[in-house]
Amino acid sequence: MSVGENSLPPEPADALAAVVALRRLADQLEAAAVEQAMRAGWSWPQVSEALGVTRQAVHKKHAKRLIAAGVKLRRRGDERV
Amino acid sequence: MSAFDKYLHGVIVRAMEEAQDDGSATIDAHHLLLSLAADQGSTAQQVLASVGLDRAAVREALDRECEHSLSMVGVSPAAYDLPGPSHASQQPKMGASARLALERSFASARKKDLRSAHLLLGILQAHIGTVPRALALAGIDQAELADRVRQTLIGQEQ
Repeated sequence: MSVGENSLPPEPADALAAVVALRRLADQLEAAAVEQAMRAGWSWPQVSEALGVTRQAVHKKHAKRLIAAGVKLRRRGDERV
Repeated sequence: MSAFDKYLHGVIVRAMEEAQDDGSATIDAHHLLLSLAADQGSTAQQVLASVGLDRAAVREALDRECEHSLSMVGVSPAAYDLPGPSHASQQPKMGASARLALERSFASARKKDLRSAHLLLGILQAHIGTVPRALALAGIDQAELADRVRQTLIGQEQ
């Protein structure tokens, strides 16, 4: 997919609404992807590095939800070598 | 707490649940609309139902809007068969669009005269954003719907 000059929707309302919808989709994708990674045994530092955000940010955004969903989270010190 | 305050509290709590189900960090105007449409017996719900908008129909319109907007930049949501998020963790906070809808509602009547229909009117006063786009895609004439709400309010005053 490319969003070059040519493919920007001609109507500003459509272009702006697309931004809103993409953010929503990205949030959903992030939630699913983080859950998948944590279920597969990834650690917070690994997930945060992959997402390019701080560990605090990713933890704050997802920890409670994952704990509530019964995902077993690796703690610091559990790192496998 | 007045009857309207209690009603408003219920609307916001349900809107928050809608936001959580969406995996949304904010309560948006469309969550308020879903909440109003689901509130059996209120005037707002009845006016919405009179144009075929029950909660399921509003949800469908919102999904279509999202799909339509994504298609504008060449993205097909069907390409992402995502599992629904395990329930959102943080309590969603009031977002800008919902805040605006409430402000418009409160500005439309004296506090003691506020009714459920004023909340709907506040949401319908937006000309830009997810709600107007979803309504248009569902074939709803938003101005006409707002007029219906106003008529109902006039009827209630008499």
